[in-house]
Amino acid sequence: MSDEEKVLEREKVHLDTALRDPEIDLRLPAVVPREPYPIETLVPEARQQTRAVGQRATRQDGRLHGLGQTKYIDDMSFPGMLYARIKRAGIASARIKSIDTSAAEAIPGVMAVLTGDEIPVNSFGPSLQDQPVLCAEQVFHAGDGVAAVAAITEQIAEEAIDKIVVEYEPLPAIFDPVEAMNEDAHKVHAPGSNIYATKAIRKGDVDKGFAESDHIFEDRFTTQMIEHVSLEPHAAIADWDANGRVTIWATIGRITLARADIARTLSMPMSRIRIIGTVVGGNFGGKNEITQEPALALLSKKAGRPVKGVYTRGEEFTSTTTRHPIVMDYKTGVSNEGKILARKVRLVLDGGAYCSWSETTLGKACILSPGPYNIDNVVAEAFVVYTNKTMTGAMRGFGAPQVCFAYESQMDDIATKLGMNPLDIRLLNAFHEGSSSPTGQVLHSVVVKESLETASARFRWQEALT
Amino acid sequence: MSDITLNINGETRTASVPPETTLLKLLRDYLNLAGAKLGCDVGDCGACTVIVDGQAVNSCLMLAGQADGRDVITIEGLATRDNFHPIQQAFENNGALQCGFCGPGVILAAKALLDENDDPDVATIRDALAGNLCRCTGYTKMIEAVQVAAGELRAEAPQQLSHAKSEAAS
Repeated sequence: MSDEEKVLEREKVHLDTALRDPEIDLRLPAVVPREPYPIETLVPEARQQTRAVGQRATRQDGRLHGLGQTKYIDDMSFPGMLYARIKRAGIASARIKSIDTSAAEAIPGVMAVLTGDEIPVNSFGPSLQDQPVLCAEQVFHAGDGVAAVAAITEQIAEEAIDKIVVEYEPLPAIFDPVEAMNEDAHKVHAPGSNIYATKAIRKGDVDKGFAESDHIFEDRFTTQMIEHVSLEPHAAIADWDANGRVTIWATIGRITLARADIARTLSMPMSRIRIIGTVVGGNFGGKNEITQEPALALLSKKAGRPVKGVYTRGEEFTSTTTRHPIVMDYKTGVSNEGKILARKVRLVLDGGAYCSWSETTLGKACILSPGPYNIDNVVAEAFVVYTNKTMTGAMRGFGAPQVCFAYESQMDDIATKLGMNPLDIRLLNAFHEGSSSPTGQVLHSVVVKESLETASARFRWQEALT
Repeated sequence: MSDITLNINGETRTASVPPETTLLKLLRDYLNLAGAKLGCDVGDCGACTVIVDGQAVNSCLMLAGQADGRDVITIEGLATRDNFHPIQQAFENNGALQCGFCGPGVILAAKALLDENDDPDVATIRDALAGNLCRCTGYTKMIEAVQVAAGELRAEAPQQLSHAKSEAAS
C-alpha cells in the first residue's frame, strides 16, 4: 500500500472520490466546481505523510486560462480610455536642464502630458523611498522615465513622446559595484554613500579556523543581471473619477503595499484609492511594487478619462527591476578529510539606481551565503551599492540562487583538489537534524543528506562517476 | 483605412482598420477577441499565436491586410457550447497552465501540430512549441498534455485516422 493510500485509509476517504473526477460536466461558461481533494484542518506529526502530498490537483483558474477567457489588464478597456507612453531618458546619469512638452501637447489626440514636477510626492520604494515616479531634476539610469503622455491611440502617444525635448547636462556615472564602494567614486544619490545597506554575520573564530585548516581556497564568483521577463508586461489602468477617487487596475502582487505607496506619491488618503489586483501573467518578484501607476493616475486626473499603460518588452528590460548581480568572494579552509573548518564570505550586490527590494535580498543572500553546511567559524559580510544601472529588486529566491552558485561551485573545486567524490564532501559537511545555522538558529526537519542520497541513487550518480 | 473581411472561428467578420494594424490588434482591439496576447510584439514569445489557413502564426507580425479573405482560428474558437477541445481539457487536467498568459498561444501551436500529425513524438512536440515561451517553466506538463490530447483525438476520430494513414501510405 502506498503512503498516500495509507493516509486515505486512515482518513476513510476512498482514492477515487478524493481526487477530482475528470468527467465532470463541461458545460460552458466553464468554472471549475469547488470539489477538489478534501482539505481539512489536519496538524501532521513531524514527517507524517499528509494526504495532500502525492495527490493530483488541478488549478481552479486553469480552465479559463485554457479557454482564453482570463482577463489580464491589457484585455480590459473602458469607455473613452486613453493610452499612455512614458519617455525614457536614454542616458545613465545627467542633470535635467529643461523639458519642453509643447510640441507633444500640440499633437491632435494628445489629451494629457505629465512631468515629474507635477507629482505631489515624487518618490517611492518598499524600504527606501529613493525612486522618482518620473525624474524631475536628475536622471539616475537610462531607463528612467522623464515624462508621460496620454493619447487616444498608442501611436499618437508614441509620436508625442518623440516630440518631447529634454535637455541634459551629462554627469559622471558609475557602473561597477566594487568601484562604486570607493570613497572617491561618483555618488549616485549624492551626498550619501553608494553603500546603502550592509549586513554581517559572525560565528566562532575564523582566524583560528583558517590556522587549523590544511587547505585554503580563495575564489571570486560573479553573476549577471537577469530580468524576470514575465510574459505579461507591466500594465495598469487608472481611472480618476469625478468624486476625486482613483481606481487602479494593476498587475501587482502586493496590492496593499501598492495602495500605501500610491497614496504617498499622490499625497491623498488611502481611503480615496482603490487598487484592483488582476490576474498576474507572471510575477517572479518583478511585480511586487508600483511602477507607472501614480503617473497613470495623474494623467487620468488631467484628462478626465481612464488611462491604460502597458510597458513594451524593451521597457521591461530597461525600466523594471532585475535580479542583483553579485560579486562573491569566498575564502574557505578545509581539513585533509574535507571538513570545512572556516569560511569567510564577502558579497557586493549591485543595487542599480534604486533600493527597491535590495535590503531584503541583501539579508537573505548574506544569511544563506555559507551554504547548508556545519561550519563552526563563519564571517559573512554583505554590501549593496548604488550604480547608474537598471534597479535590482526581488526575484525568485531573493539572492539565494546567486550565493548557491558560488558555494556549490567552490565545493566542487575543493572536492577536485582533495580528490574526493563531490557527493561525499557534501554529505560530510551538510546540515543534520539539530544543526545550527550561521545565525544560530537550531534547525529541525533537516533532510539534506537523505535528499542528496535519494537523488544520487535515482540518477545513478555513483555509476556516472565510474 | 483598409477594409478587411476574414473568416474567424467559422464566422465572417469585417473591420475597417488603419493599414499598419497587425492581425493581433485587429483581433484584440477591433473584434474583441482578447485570447491572443501581446507579449513581446516582435515575434519572439508566441503569446499571440493564432492559426491562419492551418498554419500557426505570430499574429503580431502579420498585418491585418495579409489575413484578408483567409481562415483564422483563435483560442475562442476551440471549445464548443458543451465541450472543451481535447487539448484544452488535457492542459487543464495536466496542470499545464500556471499564470496562463502563454496558454492560448501554446494550445493553438499544439493544435496546428496535431491537425498535421496525430501521433507526434516528444521531439516533434518540442519543435512545434519552440516558438512559444513560458516563463513559469511549465514545458514538461505542456508536452505531456499534448501527448494526452493526441491520444484523445486519435480515439475520437478512428475513421479519419485510418483514412489519413491509407492516404499517407499511397
